[in-house]
Amino acid sequence: MYNLPSEVFRVAYGDLCYMRHNLVQTLVSTLIGPLLYLLAFGYGMRSGDQDYIAYVIPGIIAISSMNAGFSSSSQKILIQRLFHSSFDELILCPMHTPSVILGKCVMGGLRGLAGGLIILGLGMLLTPGLSLTPWLVLAMLLSCLMFSLLGVAAGLTANSSPTLMMINSIVILPMSFMCGTLFDVDSLPDFAAYIVWALPLSHSTAVMRASALCDPVDPTSVAVILVYATAFYCICHLIIKKKLY
Amino acid sequence: MADEESMIRAEGLVKRFGDLVAVDGLSLDVRKGELYGFLGPNGAGKTTTVRMLTTMEIPDEGSIAIDGLDARARVVEVRRLIGVIQQHNSLDKDLTVRENLLHHALMQNLSFKEAKKRIEEFAGIMELQDRMETKVDKLSGGWKKKVSIACSIMHRPEILFMDEPTTGLDTQSRNLLWKLIRGLNKDGTTVFLTTHYIFEAESLCDRVGIINKGRLIAEGTPEELKRRVGAFALVSVGPDGEESVSYHPDSASARAASADVPPDSSISIRPTNLEDVFLELTGRRIRCTIFPPRCSGWPTATSAT
Repeated sequence: MYNLPSEVFRVAYGDLCYMRHNLVQTLVSTLIGPLLYLLAFGYGMRSGDQDYIAYVIPGIIAISSMNAGFSSSSQKILIQRLFHSSFDELILCPMHTPSVILGKCVMGGLRGLAGGLIILGLGMLLTPGLSLTPWLVLAMLLSCLMFSLLGVAAGLTANSSPTLMMINSIVILPMSFMCGTLFDVDSLPDFAAYIVWALPLSHSTAVMRASALCDPVDPTSVAVILVYATAFYCICHLIIKKKLY
Repeated sequence: MADEESMIRAEGLVKRFGDLVAVDGLSLDVRKGELYGFLGPNGAGKTTTVRMLTTMEIPDEGSIAIDGLDARARVVEVRRLIGVIQQHNSLDKDLTVRENLLHHALMQNLSFKEAKKRIEEFAGIMELQDRMETKVDKLSGGWKKKVSIACSIMHRPEILFMDEPTTGLDTQSRNLLWKLIRGLNKDGTTVFLTTHYIFEAESLCDRVGIINKGRLIAEGTPEELKRRVGAFALVSVGPDGEESVSYHPDSASARAASADVPPDSSISIRPTNLEDVFLELTGRRIRCTIFPPRCSGWPTATSAT
């Protein structure tokens, strides 16, 4: 038996120091994209429609959690693997594989959570329809964790920065627009809606929107997020076991 | 050596990268408390061997036991026993020296209190006190190496793997590292040192394994290996600049043999070294220049080989 939380913290310590050194840059880069979405879609396209702003902000929080989670862990691991070789040091230490995987998700999780809470705070100032609920915080955490795990898998497998950028363009960018973040998925043609509902961000968005608008949360969506997170974790585990023991 | 107990045992290691066989059926047995040198030219398979022995690379064939533990099945326990100084600095360049040291100490399962104590201790040993708050990215190569070494030994490993640790170090840093290696070994740490510097292997190591093209071609104490070739080398350089070397059991027989050298050749007699052993076994040299010119502390007599 070993102390998982302690090991996770030990693995994450370096990333937390990095975050502390670059707090302003990290927050600015996390917030710029979501704020532009809010401005363009909430105010540009819908002229500040209060109902739509309340509708779109949980979607923007979902995008933010996905981007922060995925990019933080994937880029950091890629740099540590290919350019600094410091990932080797991590592998050489007597840390268990679950601790290594979860430890590398901590930065993405914190970054996504901080970004999401700031956007939510801003949204609550702009429209009265939004609430900060325990379910929403849990949904943000789960979403950040799920996409951080995907980022860890991408960072462990990509052999160059262009490869990682390609994964971002093929997987992350389409989900940002298509997964019910800015519009209702059910307004899509049936075949497209089926595909979109199979993607993880659709369920993150659904849970966050329901939580923020104080509507009932669909347990199926929570289950889908957990299934995806477990699947991404298993992929990371297999990659580490196959490549590096 | 403390005793004859095996600390690193590898049997039939094979590692392929595509068509290239980097390590080809290599077997090793390093005893507890031994300072074992792993000598070979660039590309011989030294680093791949170290990566396999330190659990960073999975062998395609063969088995590894570290202090009796199967390196594949009990990887976390094996990693607790080892420290690794890699050929290239593998520090987090975005962090300060202190943060790197603390992160390494924490990942070696030291408590915060113990980690902070060790950091001060090893900062003193490696003379890092004035650079503790400097980002690693801002340090020169030599200082980065010192930080890297401190990170690798702070948890006091039972086995220390060093992959060409003195490459790129100035004379002072190299002497400091040699002193440290000897000190750690004296205190019971088993040291596995890869190098392509002949003098380093000869002067530091209890036993040396010579690797060429992924195969262990000779193994023994430096003296044993040299005796196999002959204690003295007669080197003659003809008028066309061509050099020939013959080996003799003692200086008298080398002098006697010099009578047969053509009169217009220049001759010299010197003790044999591990470069001669390698040359005799493989027909080629370990390096074109054995000792880097900038390392003024290295003995020049042997560089004439």
